[in-house]
Amino acid sequence: MVHSVKTKSSAAFLLLVVATGAVFLGALVLTFFVAPTERMMGIVQKIFYFHVPSAIVMGVLFLVCAVASLAYLLKNDSRLDAIGATAAELAVVFGAIALITGPLWARKAWGAWWTWEPRLTLTLLSVFIYAGYLAMRAYGGEKEFSRRVAAGLGLMGAPAYYFIKVAVDKWGGNHPKNVVYGKGEGLMNPDMRLAFFAGLIAVLMLTVTLFVMRYRTRMLKERVDTAISEMQKYDLLEDG
Amino acid sequence: MNQHIQHFWVVFRKDIRIELRTREILLTMGLFALLLVVVFSFAFYTDAERSRIYAPGILWTTVVFSGTIGLNRLFERENENGCLSGVLLTPISPRMVFVAKAMGNLLFTLLMEILTVPLLVMFFSLDIQPVGIFLSGLLLGTVGFCFVGTLFAAMLSAARMKEVLVPLVVYPIIVPIIIGGVKVTAVVLNDYPVEEALNWLKLIAGFDLLFVSLAIWLFEPMIAP
Repeated sequence: MVHSVKTKSSAAFLLLVVATGAVFLGALVLTFFVAPTERMMGIVQKIFYFHVPSAIVMGVLFLVCAVASLAYLLKNDSRLDAIGATAAELAVVFGAIALITGPLWARKAWGAWWTWEPRLTLTLLSVFIYAGYLAMRAYGGEKEFSRRVAAGLGLMGAPAYYFIKVAVDKWGGNHPKNVVYGKGEGLMNPDMRLAFFAGLIAVLMLTVTLFVMRYRTRMLKERVDTAISEMQKYDLLEDG
Repeated sequence: MNQHIQHFWVVFRKDIRIELRTREILLTMGLFALLLVVVFSFAFYTDAERSRIYAPGILWTTVVFSGTIGLNRLFERENENGCLSGVLLTPISPRMVFVAKAMGNLLFTLLMEILTVPLLVMFFSLDIQPVGIFLSGLLLGTVGFCFVGTLFAAMLSAARMKEVLVPLVVYPIIVPIIIGGVKVTAVVLNDYPVEEALNWLKLIAGFDLLFVSLAIWLFEPMIAP
């Protein structure tokens, strides 16, 4: 089934892009000029304002992907598939951001680039799952079929995320919790808290913007593909 | 219900019979496992004291890697000449086909473990105490691995890159099994408190319960709309 997609950028989307840019700029100003530099961590602590929002967004996107995957398996609607794929794609991007900024933080805070800290491990493994989702779509064979297989994986990802969380929490019990989780409580300074919430909103808005963009691209591509195969059916395409 | 059991037997027996005649899966899996154990012995063995620390990881790596070899071969027959469609076109419910294939896989993997585990115990001079906890950990872990593995092996049986894709999607999902299995094995090898092993066993059992039912349910909507 072909769904109609708006081909022109709507005014609302343009507004969203501008607003996202403005909020991001504001968040950066708050991060670097308003929020005080932390005493122990120095400038590295500012990673926190974008690292944590990226990780939160990643988690939300995983959930979106799982729900969309379930719905796709039940309803077989290509829009649901596009939502799931877009969510997985962005989840991998924001997961990668969290995974790159995490070790930078860890080096300063704990003296090692990588610790098998539960949250970091969980992030790494869930990024693996959704990278597998994307690989499955790319190399899983025939298009419709690989989408269904990827959706099955996307759905399994949510309970797997829960079980991995329980397992690595139990496993990585050697890490002092107050150091790991202390960073959340460390935001006693109101300016820091302001910068954090600004960062959170900025990253959320960026996610929405990218989501709308990628979703639309996907649906447009779907339409072009359908058109091409229709034309091939009636032999209307020139060779090459 | 009776009919379902009958259907199950038809598919299950077919796989056993093919395996008995070709010995394809067991031979490749068994030889690979043997080779892995030998390689790991060269890589890690120093003395009995230290091998107790490495052995859990070596055991589970061997099981999962060799199991993956089996997964890649599991649907080889069905893949040839589009036989999977043929099997699915029979009046047997797709779910029963899946359960039978997964149970066949489970049987082969357990046979591979029967070969591998005693060898590991010998090569690394291990002392497993209590055996019951160790075996239930191994069994529960293998069940979860086989069902999740069979699901994706079935889906990707026709894919060009299935040798890479199957482990790529299966390993991250079964991480709780690997962590739990390694922990349970560590407990029985090092005389750690048994309660700790029981906690991990519960986690693996919970994982199995959810993922085995999820895999059985997912097979049908995944393979055809």
